[in-house]
Amino acid sequence: MYRIRFHGRGGQGTKTASRMLGTAFFLAGYQVQDAPRYGAERRGAPIFAYVRAAKEAIHERGVIREPNLVVVADDSLVPVPAAGVLQGATARSVMLISSSESAATWRDRLNFPGTVLTLPAEASEQAELCFVGAACTGAAARLLGVIPRAILEAAVREELSALGEDIIRRNLEQALAAFDCMEPHAGSVNEGVAFSVADAKAPDWIDLPVDESDAAAAAIHASATSVEVRTGLWRVLRPVIDYDRCNRCWWVCSEFCPDSAIKVDADGRPEIDYDHCKGCMICVAQCPPHAIAAVPEQEFSEKTP
Amino acid sequence: MSEQTVTIYKRMKDLPSTRLLGAGTPMCAGCGGLQAVHEIYDILGEKTVFVNAAGCMTLLAVYPFTPFRGSWLYTSMASAPAGAQGVRDALDILLAKQRIKQEQDLDVVVLTGDGAAYGMGLSSTSSAIERGLDFIYVCYDNEGYGNTGQQTSAATPHGARTSTSTDARGFGGFKKDLFAIWAAHRPAYVATVIGSEPLDLARKIEKAKAMKGPRLIIALSPCPTGWDFDPMESAEIGHLAVKTGVWPLKEYENGQVTHTKVPSEWLPVEEYLKKQGRFAHLFKPQRNKALISEIQTRVDAYWAEVERA
Repeated sequence: MYRIRFHGRGGQGTKTASRMLGTAFFLAGYQVQDAPRYGAERRGAPIFAYVRAAKEAIHERGVIREPNLVVVADDSLVPVPAAGVLQGATARSVMLISSSESAATWRDRLNFPGTVLTLPAEASEQAELCFVGAACTGAAARLLGVIPRAILEAAVREELSALGEDIIRRNLEQALAAFDCMEPHAGSVNEGVAFSVADAKAPDWIDLPVDESDAAAAAIHASATSVEVRTGLWRVLRPVIDYDRCNRCWWVCSEFCPDSAIKVDADGRPEIDYDHCKGCMICVAQCPPHAIAAVPEQEFSEKTP
Repeated sequence: MSEQTVTIYKRMKDLPSTRLLGAGTPMCAGCGGLQAVHEIYDILGEKTVFVNAAGCMTLLAVYPFTPFRGSWLYTSMASAPAGAQGVRDALDILLAKQRIKQEQDLDVVVLTGDGAAYGMGLSSTSSAIERGLDFIYVCYDNEGYGNTGQQTSAATPHGARTSTSTDARGFGGFKKDLFAIWAAHRPAYVATVIGSEPLDLARKIEKAKAMKGPRLIIALSPCPTGWDFDPMESAEIGHLAVKTGVWPLKEYENGQVTHTKVPSEWLPVEEYLKKQGRFAHLFKPQRNKALISEIQTRVDAYWAEVERA
């Protein structure tokens, strides 16, 4: 059984990528499961999608813990603990990262036990980013080695049929180019063994004393604990205030920020909370004196390694 | 806004400059619904308990995280007003037994999306209004089942593409007039708001908070994910919804409907439509003149009727 786990950000077509790969497997005669992790499909947020394919009936359910292939559509997710990109990888696993950096760099950087490959990302071209999902599907299909090129094409067409010929064509270009570029690594993903119920070990039961209900209930005993969640990790652009230009208006930026991520002091001076700013850039668009600039997040990570 | 009402929100500088709603929620970047909800919460204050039907905002308070300062109750999609009844009754009993003081009382606020408000939850809302339940209902209306991938809801506008209306003309039906349906129940207060008009929103929430009985608010919520636009444009699309007349800002009280913001000059609706991917089929590959003018005609007819009244 093949187990493939996709990682991406909401909006990059990660869910669609898993659908296309699942359909390709199906057309190639496999039994297939493909599903995104429900409820997490928020734009910019870490997204997970899972594909299982086997020649026999699939009895496994739920998330994939031990992937044969990990596909990472956005390399900025690798250091994000919540994304869990490295989770469950073994020496037999293959990781494919869409990145402008080399596979050697990623091998040095990561303590990944298996094979690391990269799919050259055209990060400079913002417009092409929305096709990264299709490129990942194409590359994954070749790495698996059991999906012919024509079947990949048929699967992309089938999944995107509602979106019109132009979008299908542009996705196909990306998918087929990635398929071709992975030729040296064709078939490098190993099929995993299906788990058997007979092999499952019963857990060691532990008897827990019953707590008082006010201690055991799922109640939250503090205000606004959501600040513990660092949604700043979603951001690809950073809003930066030019305080010489800021005219201390009626805090337009803070009022319009959906995320309570801009605080204003008593003098009307705004300050952006980068731990939580998701990078929507509404403040950049709405600031009356245009005092906020959108700066690619990469420029900051390069300055402070 | 009637003239005798004294508002503390006379100009933008009167709006709160500090935020009650905590950061770090899982809502999408640029969420117009969250923008409206944080503005509403700033006016309502900490002494609120939210009763949240299933929808995007269910994800606000995923244990152990909450952006709220007080309690939050999660109900099924159709039954948030029934949940609110239970919370209100419990508070009333605690007050009657003097277990809590009058100043410890809380406002009970229902929070649902348009899927619940316009559709599944309409029956329980109707009966809550009928019973004269003392509560505030806030609907964040992003015109589709956004949390599950923007399927068509009863709030989806004519011509919009959704994941269940994918043909060349988009959704063939029409957005339900929930404001009129709610107002026909003769509750204490009904209003439409939008996050991009915070002063208008603040005055309406201030007014609703001072009243008793059923008070219902619909907030149009530009949705970058479901409507397909750059999150950066969220507030601008909100402005355009008002300036083109697509989203009339109004309130109902004492049997009267008042429009609170009537632009002196209207922009054509296509200024609003062309910014959103869900209406892209109206402009590409060729301009669908008939459908654009059909949408414009309906908006014009609405405002012509307002003028006559």
